[in-house]
Order: sequence, then structure tokens, then C-alpha cells
Amino acid sequence: MKLDPLSVPVRAGESVVRLAWVLVVFLIGSPAVGGGVSGAAVLVAGWFLVAIAYQSVYYQRFEYELTDDTLDIVSGVVSRRNREIPLGRIQNVDISRNVLQRAVGIAQINLETAGGSSTEASLRYVSHEEAKRLQSELGRRKRVGSSDGAREEAPERELFSVTSKELVLLGVVGIDLRLLSVVTVLLPVVAPSLRERFADPLVGLAVTAPLAAVGIVAVTAVISGVLAVANYYGFRLSRREEELLYERGLLQRYSGSIPLEKIQTLTISENVIARRLGYASLAVETAGYAPGEAGSQSAVPLADRDRVFDLARSVESFEETEFERPPKRARERYLIRYSLLALLVVGGAFAADAYTRLTFAWYLTVALFPLAAVAAHLKWANLGYDVGSEYIVLREGFWTRTITVVPYYRVQTVLDSRTVFQRRRRLATLVVDTAGTSGLTNRQPRALDIDDGHAEELRELVADRLQEMVRRRRSHRRRERLRSIDAELPDEPPNPAT
Amino acid sequence: MDETDGNRRGECPFGDDLAPAVQRIDEAERTDASVPDIDELVGPPQTLESEIQGVWALQAAVSAAILGVIAAVAFSVLSVGGPWIGGAVFAVGVVIGIVLSVLRYRIWTYQVREDSLYLRRGVVTRVETVAPYVRIQHVDTRRGPIERVFGLATTVVYTAGSRGADVAIPGLTPERAADLQTRLKQLAIAAEGDDAV
Repeated sequence: MKLDPLSVPVRAGESVVRLAWVLVVFLIGSPAVGGGVSGAAVLVAGWFLVAIAYQSVYYQRFEYELTDDTLDIVSGVVSRRNREIPLGRIQNVDISRNVLQRAVGIAQINLETAGGSSTEASLRYVSHEEAKRLQSELGRRKRVGSSDGAREEAPERELFSVTSKELVLLGVVGIDLRLLSVVTVLLPVVAPSLRERFADPLVGLAVTAPLAAVGIVAVTAVISGVLAVANYYGFRLSRREEELLYERGLLQRYSGSIPLEKIQTLTISENVIARRLGYASLAVETAGYAPGEAGSQSAVPLADRDRVFDLARSVESFEETEFERPPKRARERYLIRYSLLALLVVGGAFAADAYTRLTFAWYLTVALFPLAAVAAHLKWANLGYDVGSEYIVLREGFWTRTITVVPYYRVQTVLDSRTVFQRRRRLATLVVDTAGTSGLTNRQPRALDIDDGHAEELRELVADRLQEMVRRRRSHRRRERLRSIDAELPDEPPNPAT
Repeated sequence: MDETDGNRRGECPFGDDLAPAVQRIDEAERTDASVPDIDELVGPPQTLESEIQGVWALQAAVSAAILGVIAAVAFSVLSVGGPWIGGAVFAVGVVIGIVLSVLRYRIWTYQVREDSLYLRRGVVTRVETVAPYVRIQHVDTRRGPIERVFGLATTVVYTAGSRGADVAIPGLTPERAADLQTRLKQLAIAAEGDDAV
């Protein structure tokens, strides 16, 4: 199969636009604008011709074929590349289309595998119908390869679709509250020096502080709202047999499939605002995406908390979670840590007040000490872990609380680490490493500051449960295969040995 | 595999081409002669070769020297202090490096257990890692320039985990490293690895 012929002009156009941007930046900087523009126009036109020629060769040389168990891609103009991607190794299949691509009816299709640091294969561009066909065909053949019989296209069952109310809420919830907290801490320090600008000092403080806070909230809300709408407009999550399918985006449409078999961990996250409103979001991690890529956006952006848990349970059937918190002595650690931080700020403010000409109300920063106590408690209260029979569930974070569900079967390595400070309080951090790469938080699933003896036990327990899960899966698979062999042979295969 | 065994197994109503990929065989028949008994492969906790302290100390000395040069240049430009601060930085760095090397050597332990590899390491942050054999992707042995001078090698165990080559055992003689590599390989085969990705 070849790419869509339209991909030649589109790809050439893209490279010209990239060049044009560079030229615009360059031209603005240079003084001779008149001569520069015509020169640039010639350059752009010339480049377009070269790009068209190159892209037609690229188009000629690019070929892909879907066989029963591999996807073969032959590509490359200067250096030729011949790839066979086993279907069983494909993690996610993502289709994306921007406005232009939608107008001409083409799409980009990205295939992710666990190996390598970037997207394994990218078909730019095929017609939208072809992309859809490829996506469903890949899912179907994978299933046929693994189990019995070639079934017809399975029905799609909708799991979730975003309502406009949720979309608006997503904008509100998306505000980064940490920014707000920084502002509220800085304002009492900065405000007094602003006082001089106003006739009445009290008016100055009363006007600037709320204005700045409101202004920042408004701007972030608008930005995050616009981004949320653009990213998640028309979000839809559905399930077709053993695959999750999603669709989203206003200007740039994304759709993709996530095989359930490939899911590593589930992350439910809820920030402070979402918690108050009873909402949460769900991210599904596979091994396909490189760290930092926004792969895990391919999950529920925002929904009712119970709904999110139901959805998560339909993917991984973890039990009702009952979190155990770390021992109270962990809280002392945070109290000391935050108090030291507060001390640093107070000291800095005092030094600035004493040794520079700026006049600060530095003594107001003393209010940070009681805040440190509150922060320490909140950090501690939001920590937790729950050791289930098939899953270990970990919770962390106050501003954005994340609950990570890790199936024992997906564990790669388990480790517990103890810093000097942790050793003094007999605490340890248990890290459960999986092949999943979270795009949103680069945080690993971990149980922070649990009792060190318990951490050691848990480390061995998780490793043992992993062995048990692997054994269970293996015997299950063996049974399945034997059953399929029995189905093929009506009678017992002749076996003289017995 | 001998003739009779092959015949017995190959008997299939559809001929060889259509023989099912998976056959019903007794558990007893499955033991592979190339994989020795697991009991022979596992062992008690092991320490590293003592020469590794030299490697670490030398590595620390190299970083201390770089820091010292930077400090010397910086302080010769600044009005306070002088180039001698670079020397002091180097000396302190070397002393800290030597102390840390000795402590690190004393703490480093690894054990080839029945179904996982266990490591304990770290002076400031103590880390204990369990890497199950079922998750091993491949095992490498590598020797850096300083390691070669001291006649040492490092065995690295790769899993599909996001921490990459986090499971590395330094300070082994090349023979020990090669032996460990084969043992881990055999244990990984015996564990019928399954990467779960």
C-alpha cells in the first residue's frame, strides 16, 4: 500500500511553512526589508520545488503492508529502511488530523511500540478512511492471532463522553493553584513597597492584592479553559472487545486505540478544586510513549469521581481501596522540612529589609510557620497505600492527588530506598517500577515514608505476588492453548505413550 | 532429542506442516538439559571486589579535579580568595570521595536468589532492589577505562522498567562478571520470562 497522493503537496507545504517562519524571523531582524522580501520569496518558491521533488520520491519509495502478523514498512529516500513490526508488539495506534488535514481528508497515523524512545512508525499521510481501516484491522488481526476464529467487526460500546458542563469545569479545574499560592505568599511582602504609589497605604494594599490575585486566576482560567476545550472537545471513550478507543479535539482531532492487554498502570488524579467539586480524571499508561510525551492524555479528562472509579474498575478490577497512611513520625519530617523552608524565606525577607533600600513588611512572613504545620499535615494526610490481592494502590499529593493502581503482574522491579533523614526515623520509600511511562507526571508509583520494616516486607511481598501472577497467567495460557488444540482435533490426539 | 522421541511427538494426523505449535507433553519431559539445576545457580549474599574502592576513589578524584580547576579559575578572577581555593576544593573532594568509596564498598551486597536478583547499595540513600528474573530483558557486561585499569567489570541487568539500567553490579572480576551473566541468563530462561509490555 502507498500513502495518500495528497501527502506529497501537504508534506512539501509543511516544510515550506517551516522555512517561511525562519525567514520571517530573519527578515524582521534585518534592515534591508525591501530587497530581502523578494529574495525570500524566490527562496521559498525554490524550496517548494525542491520539497515537491523530494516528497514525490519519498512517496514513491514509501510502502506499507499489513500481513497476518506483521506490519511491514519499506521507506527512505537516501537510506532505505525495511521494517517488520510484529502486531503483538504494537501498543497504541493514534490518528491525528489538524484543520488542513481534515479539510483535504487525510490523517497521520502513529504506531507506538515499547522499544525505542520515539514513535515507532508514523504514516504521513493516509486518507482518513484508510487510517480508520488500518486501526480497526490492526486490532482485529491482533485478536485473531491470539485467540480463536476470525470474527466479524465487534460492536463498539460507549464508556464515556464528555458533556459541555464537564468541558467548562475542566477549564476551571485546570487552573494551577500552586501559582495562586505563590501569589498569596508574595503579595504581603511585595505590597508594602507598592504602597508608596498610592496616596493612602491601606487603599494601595487593598486594591493591588485582590486585583493581582483575581487577574492571575482569570488569565489562567481563560488559558486553561481554551486549552481544555481545544484538547477535549467532543471527547469520547468507548470499548471494542479488548481495546479502548478514544476521540477528542476541536481543531486538531485525535483518535486512537489502547489495547487493554497493554495497559500498565491506571492513574486517577484529582486536584484541590476537582476534589471539592467531586470530580476526577483518569489516565491510562502503556509502555508505548516516550517519557514526557502527552500519551496518557488518552484517558478520561474529567468526570464524576464515582464514574471515574467505575471506569477504572472496568479496566482493572481492583477492590474497594482502603488506604493506610504512613506512620505519624513521617509528618514530623515534613514539618521540619517546611519549617526550614519558611525560616529560609523569613531570613531572606529580613535580610532584604535590613540590607537593601526596599522596605518590606518582612515580619508578615512569620505567618508561614503555622502554614508549614498545615502543609505538613496535608502532605501526610494525602499519602497512602493499599496492598490488594492483585493490585497495589498508591496515593500521593495534596495539590494534585494521584491514585495509582499498579497490577502486580506489571511490576518490573521493586525497590525500597532510605535517605539519611529517613533512616533516622526508621522510614523508607517503596518504589514499584513498571514499564509504563507517564506523560503527565514523571513520578514513579511509590509509597513515600512508610515504616522501614514494613517497606522491606512489602518489597518481598510485591515480588512474590508478581511471581504468583506470572505463574497464574502462564497456566491460564497453557490451558487456553490446549483447549484450542482440542477444539481443532475432534478426538484425543493419538499418544502411544499413555 | 533422540529418534524415537521425535517420532512419538511428531505423530500428527495432518502431517508435519500442520502439526500444532504447542503439544501436550509431560512436565517431566520439559526439563531442558542446557539449564542446570536452579539450586546450583543461586547463592549466598556476595560482596564486590575490594579494588572497586580504587575505581570509585579515582572517579571521585577526577570530578574533584574538575571542580578544583573551576574553583581555581573562578577565585583567581574574583577579588576574594585566590587560586589556592581550587587546591583546597580538590583536597576536600578527594577525602570525601575516599571515605564514600570505602563506605559504599562495605554496604554493597548482591544476592542471586531463587527467583530474583537482590541488590543493596548506597551510602547517603540506601537502596534495596529486587529484580525478578521473569522481567529480565537482557544482561550486559561492560568495562570502562578506569575499570579496565583495575581489572574489573560491571554486569548490567536490563528490564523493561522505566528506570532503565538501574540494576548494575560493578566491581566484579571479568570472570565473575561473565559467570554472573551466564547464571542470570540461565535463570531468566528457566523463569520463562514474560516482559508484560
